[in-house]
Amino acid sequence: MDKDILVRMQEDLVRALQKPAESRRWAMLVDLRRCTGCRACTVGCVSENKLPPELWYRPVFDYEQGSYPKVSRTWIPRPCMQCDKPPCVTACPVKGPDGATWKETKGVGAGIVPVNYNQCIGCGRCVPACPYNARTMDEGKFHSEGTPQLMQYETMPAFEYGRQWPRSGKNQPIGNARKCHFCMHRLAAGQLPMCISTCVCRAGYFGDENDSQSLLAEVKKANKIQILKKGKGTAPRVYYIANEKLEVLYG
Amino acid sequence: MAKKPTTMAPETTVDKGVSRRDFLRTSALVGCGAMVASQLDFARGLIARVEAGELTPAEAYELLKAENTLYTVCLNCNTGCGIKVKILQGVAVKIDGNPYNPFTLFPHLPMSESMDNAVKVDGAICPKGQAGHQGAYDPYRIRKVLKRAGKRGEGKWQTVPFDQAISEIVNGGLLFKHVAGEENRQVAGLKELYALTDPKIYEEMAKDVAALRKKKTAEDKQKAIAEFKVKHALNLDKLIDPDHPDFGPRNNQFVYMWGRKKGGRSDFSKRFYETFGTVNGHGHTTVCQGSLYFACKAMSEQYAGDTFKDGQKFYWQADTENSEYVIFVGANLIDGNYGPSNRNPRTIPQIAAGKLKVTVIDPRFTKMAAKAQRWVPVKPGTDAAFALGMTRWILENQRFDARYLANANKAAAAGDKESTWTNSAWLVKLDDKGTPGAFLRAHEIGLKDKETRKDKDGKEFNFEYLVAMVNGQPVAFDPNDDKEAVKGELFVTTELKDKEGKPVKVKSGFQIMLEAAQEKTISQYAEICGSDVATIEAVAKEFTSHGKKACVDIHRGPAQHTNGFYNIASLMNLNLLVGNFDWTGGMIAASTWNTDGTKTDKQPFSFKKITPKAGKPFGLSIIRHDAKFEESTLFTGKESYPARRNWWPLASDVYEEIIPSCLEAYPYPTKALFSYMAAPTYALPAGQTNIAALADLDKLPLYFASDILVGSTSMYADYIFPDLHYLERWEFQGSHPNMPVKVQPVRQPVIASLNEIVTVFGEAQPISYETVWLALAEKLGLPGFGPTGFGEGQAFTRPDDLYIRMVANIATDGKEPVADASTAEIELFLKSRKHLPKNVFDPERWQAITAAAWPKVVTVLNRGGRFATQEESFKGDHVANKYGKLINMYQEKTAKCKDAFTGKPFHGMARFTPIVDTLGKEPTELSAGYDLHLVTQRDNLMTKSRTITHPYLTDLLPENGIVIHASDAKRLGLKTGDQVRVVSATNLAGEWDLGNGNKKAMIGTVKVTETIRPGVITFTLGHGHWATGASDVTIDDQLIKGDPRRAAGVHANAAMWIDPNLKNTCMIDKVGGSVSFYDTKVKLVKV
Repeated sequence: MDKDILVRMQEDLVRALQKPAESRRWAMLVDLRRCTGCRACTVGCVSENKLPPELWYRPVFDYEQGSYPKVSRTWIPRPCMQCDKPPCVTACPVKGPDGATWKETKGVGAGIVPVNYNQCIGCGRCVPACPYNARTMDEGKFHSEGTPQLMQYETMPAFEYGRQWPRSGKNQPIGNARKCHFCMHRLAAGQLPMCISTCVCRAGYFGDENDSQSLLAEVKKANKIQILKKGKGTAPRVYYIANEKLEVLYG
Repeated sequence: MAKKPTTMAPETTVDKGVSRRDFLRTSALVGCGAMVASQLDFARGLIARVEAGELTPAEAYELLKAENTLYTVCLNCNTGCGIKVKILQGVAVKIDGNPYNPFTLFPHLPMSESMDNAVKVDGAICPKGQAGHQGAYDPYRIRKVLKRAGKRGEGKWQTVPFDQAISEIVNGGLLFKHVAGEENRQVAGLKELYALTDPKIYEEMAKDVAALRKKKTAEDKQKAIAEFKVKHALNLDKLIDPDHPDFGPRNNQFVYMWGRKKGGRSDFSKRFYETFGTVNGHGHTTVCQGSLYFACKAMSEQYAGDTFKDGQKFYWQADTENSEYVIFVGANLIDGNYGPSNRNPRTIPQIAAGKLKVTVIDPRFTKMAAKAQRWVPVKPGTDAAFALGMTRWILENQRFDARYLANANKAAAAGDKESTWTNSAWLVKLDDKGTPGAFLRAHEIGLKDKETRKDKDGKEFNFEYLVAMVNGQPVAFDPNDDKEAVKGELFVTTELKDKEGKPVKVKSGFQIMLEAAQEKTISQYAEICGSDVATIEAVAKEFTSHGKKACVDIHRGPAQHTNGFYNIASLMNLNLLVGNFDWTGGMIAASTWNTDGTKTDKQPFSFKKITPKAGKPFGLSIIRHDAKFEESTLFTGKESYPARRNWWPLASDVYEEIIPSCLEAYPYPTKALFSYMAAPTYALPAGQTNIAALADLDKLPLYFASDILVGSTSMYADYIFPDLHYLERWEFQGSHPNMPVKVQPVRQPVIASLNEIVTVFGEAQPISYETVWLALAEKLGLPGFGPTGFGEGQAFTRPDDLYIRMVANIATDGKEPVADASTAEIELFLKSRKHLPKNVFDPERWQAITAAAWPKVVTVLNRGGRFATQEESFKGDHVANKYGKLINMYQEKTAKCKDAFTGKPFHGMARFTPIVDTLGKEPTELSAGYDLHLVTQRDNLMTKSRTITHPYLTDLLPENGIVIHASDAKRLGLKTGDQVRVVSATNLAGEWDLGNGNKKAMIGTVKVTETIRPGVITFTLGHGHWATGASDVTIDDQLIKGDPRRAAGVHANAAMWIDPNLKNTCMIDKVGGSVSFYDTKVKLVKV
């Protein structure tokens, strides 16, 4: 029988990493016909990236439509869209070669909008600039706050952007804007973004859109694709397959 | 510093930002090491160096290193998915799926795949699994033994040395003289209850009690009791009550109960309580889906000689990866139900691709319903009506698999390439009122005589042939005969003659099914379940349009009612009508690699052989399971009905009856109770009844618990022993019926425990569940434990002494053992566990124990268990791991049991029965004035008792709500966000009475929806805690404040009906044992 799509997509990923960055186009796709709103992606991401309370890179929104007994339920996971025209980058005051956020063109992260925590001044301007609310300020909270003890796993490093970010005191990224980065550090290691690799419904796809052999490209080609907030002209890199019109649900 | 973006003015941010930026530049130099500044450098960081080949990915990303990765098994729900735990500096920092385990990857990696490759592949697991390490690092975990310093449940504790606690529990005494009112309360210790110890006397008494139970009249029983007293005069003091020898020895007054427990730990405790000699080891099955288990047990009883026995406590589920149509009834595998990591990838993509059609029968529009083609929102508790409507249509329209059903025995089945067969064509005798009873035996009509046969051990047994009608003539057959095929007629109603020529009225099993289905019209069934004829017929037609690839997959929805047993049997019988068992896409059963070494002679440790012969426990259990009331010394004749409490000839592990039976001392008083990972007060419907019972010092003089924190039930204990978290310990998870692959996932310590290290049998070990058993065994001098526990030179002094032997058995089971680990793999095995202390990880000891099997043991532990391949799991049109036996459509054993309250026999054929209390009364009085039907639901983010300690989860679901249909909300003037109190006829105050004057109101937040049947309300289980870190406790006079997040939301179980007759437990299914979870009518009172 066929391989699990997680294995197939990982093979696609490894193949894509052999290519020069400029000929590669990372994209994510979520098939909402499969998504069950379980939030494995949300929590997997929280744990992978050591996200503090009430800060989610990939929330999942619930929608109910219709009247009993003709009803429907839909779930929309919303990572960062890694827009090709990212309003958050425009809004960031820290620009230039030392900028805090930009549309990456080089390396593994080409196509991704990273945040350089060292350069981010914590002004928060990027937050309202994002039409998807995909950025959140890290206020330095801990999950075990208010209990008898702060637990060690919370202070140990996250590996975002291929570096170690121990979480304590005022260490970055505390005070910074935070957002999804397609788990760039995992891509570099030949692994899928956490949200994709822990999707128990296999609703998530990730890969190089330019590689017609990739599962992502196959699925994208075979289905009608929607994007969120098309009218904003942000050119997202995250696609959706859905029976419903997402502009009706998501706005 | 950082502000909430919504309240932030851009001008001020720039100003603030500049200073912030300067600050960060400074702090980066001082505190954060070599952080680089430029964009280019940022992109040229570790990732770029990996790209340039300067570093390997694992060097850049420590979570990718094989030496930082261990494979074990989750337990945040009972699915028990394989997990891959990523460990840094000895701390579990990230959990993903184990790619070797088919529960997280579909298909999974074969065991031959190298560890280096496997480490790169993360399997998919659910959010509870992802958050699992938060349970291990819960700040509220206890590390030392707590002893009660106040009243039970008062929340006052003192830490005591482990040895002291064990000594006190074994020796008894004035254990609580420091507590006001208990100065003179003498507590009996286990030593006093370890009364009967001689295996010979055990055997002799047990034999005599068994004979006594078979006496037909009260007089005969009395005579037998008198004889018993004479014969056993010297040992009568060892009995609970010499006038009732069937109560058994005083050893039975030690009652042990558990919540979530899997293989390994089960074997551990069983070894103890069976050697100790108590019959009272009881699980929690009936709070989950007992009537599902026990209805399937009844269906799986095998005809052995002249009677039915060896039914399996199990059930079947659908092989959804190959099914074309599945009806899920009260089964939401996306949020619970042995899912989702294993079931979703085998179900959801298939639905999305149009390969699988689904109908959901459920009053809730579950996530599963959201993915289904059809939703049938039936009224709760009427599932059998829908099933019988379908049955009637299928039978009357000849849509059943007649070829399959006609097979009366194994040979006939084999001829049709069927591995299972039914008793549809067998003839059943009717009594003078026409009620079906036992199957006709061939000798009764002079057709074929009884035989004396020998079993495989050479033991003789009586064999009686059964009868089917073939071409209008009765034919004798052996149902297990694999040579002479007998195919019987399906619809038979006739009269035969016995040996004396007297008439014997008979019907075939299938005819009885037809008549049961015809008790009502399809229209009447539709009326009962709140559906319509067209829907019932359409579902029946669809179900019978896919050959063997259609299933009815059931979970706790239909089971947890007072009519649960017959709901389940009615639904499961539908699967028999299409004969889908063991077929790909049909109903399948779980299969596992063996742990106890009794499967093959290549397994090194047969526990049968290395367990000392102790007296087999005998006597009635405190819950009266596997026992008929009529056979007990408490039954003196028809005037004994109704029994004081129920008896359970067909069920066991009747959770709701354990503590209330202790309270009533029925059938006898309990002296000591031990609970493990159990929260009946929280988990049971009307769980508050258990709280009241646990407070009773006379009826429960000693109560000790094993728990990882002060839990919602263990808070009432006299002692709490800290247990290990699932990341710190062993267990063998087994499998679930939806998994076609043969597996045995091994849970093993992957992080060290912070629990106090104690010495038992001279071995240092962290306090755990096992340590308690070992220490009790040491103190009591129980055989089978200690330096010669497994035989001469074979110590059983640490938990792993048992578990490593079981791993060796797993590794060597089957036709071929697993492959030996290479030297490199053994090195990795050691390196990846270097953070574990010797008291839990002792490779030299393990190697010495397992000897030649050691490299195979390493192979299994390195992969978190043993797993067959996907390819091995199917053979042509069938699953490879077959059930392969008779499945009863008509249940003779059930028909031979009586209701202990009414004295009426149970139905042998499934049918619709109404919701009733123990006296058989429909709850019209309890319902009057209560307009809403209360059910519950699971959310994938929560399990009942343990996920509230996981902030990654509660952060997403800070509270649950009372989910109500918009029309009901409108009628009651409620809107989303309103606070309401849940009130029922048996909980007028709408609150939990926690004892000691503490109450917790059942007040929840309204959530209005269209996604539920009007008239029904539901809430998600797992919130509304009062312990488990939710409330303050005092330990050694130090106040530990609770976390209010854990108290959030509502837990409405206390509103669920208390049985009006029993008065101290919830309503129950008298046949299958299930608690009534979904029968209560409530009202909502706006706060």
